Amino acid sequence: MKVQPAVRQETAKIALGTAVLTLIMIGVFMILGRFDWTVLTGALLGWAAAVGNFFLMALTVQKAADEMKPTAQPAADEDDQEEDDGEEKPEAPLSEDAKRGKQRIQLSYTLRMLGLGVIAILGVTLPWFQSVAVLLPMLFPRIVIMLLNSRPSTL
Amino acid sequence: MIELAIGIILAGCGIGAGLALIAGIGPGIGEGNAVARACEAIGRQPESRGAVTSTMIMGCAIAETTGLYGLVIGILLIFVAPGIFVNTLKTAMEGWAHAFH
Repeated sequence: MKVQPAVRQETAKIALGTAVLTLIMIGVFMILGRFDWTVLTGALLGWAAAVGNFFLMALTVQKAADEMKPTAQPAADEDDQEEDDGEEKPEAPLSEDAKRGKQRIQLSYTLRMLGLGVIAILGVTLPWFQSVAVLLPMLFPRIVIMLLNSRPSTL
Repeated sequence: MIELAIGIILAGCGIGAGLALIAGIGPGIGEGNAVARACEAIGRQPESRGAVTSTMIMGCAIAETTGLYGLVIGILLIFVAPGIFVNTLKTAMEGWAHAFH
């Protein structure tokens, strides 16, 4: 399967942003005087898990989007009528492709959470990794996305 | 006495971890619904595939972090918190024993 440019671009942004935040976290460990090699291995494991999880999620989304076949557009007057009525219509039933995409992402979510759970348990229980350094980078992608979205528009 | 206190701590941590992991259910359902509707949008307007895919990826990542918070808290409650709480309890008990003798 060919990776779409959108997936590659978003993953690169997240990987870079998460790496910067992980370096800041390592700096905080140094300032607190609690830095040793387990912090480094833990941070590396946590960063790899966070970026790998994001990439797998993006691939699943891409696959769901790729499998979607073009459908007919709804007639324009239907939309107008909806606005005029002011009443909410019941949601239209999903097409077969959309249902398949939904099941695919839900299965992928479950499997990725299981994988992350295993990685987190290994990171917490094994003596080669600092537990906080493993767990914190997993939460960094959200911070990166929020920081990216809070940038002023260049338009 | 101390065994009872340790038992209560362990039970509390287990129940808390179970409650925290409930947070993992919602994002899965929501993510599925969002992707299904985005797929429908792509089906209606195939030319918007790139923009919709980008937005969908970011939205899914945001939604997913909620489940991750629950997972991380649950793992901390099971593997890290009991040791800290039990050690704190033992230190406190020793301190009280010294104070009363």
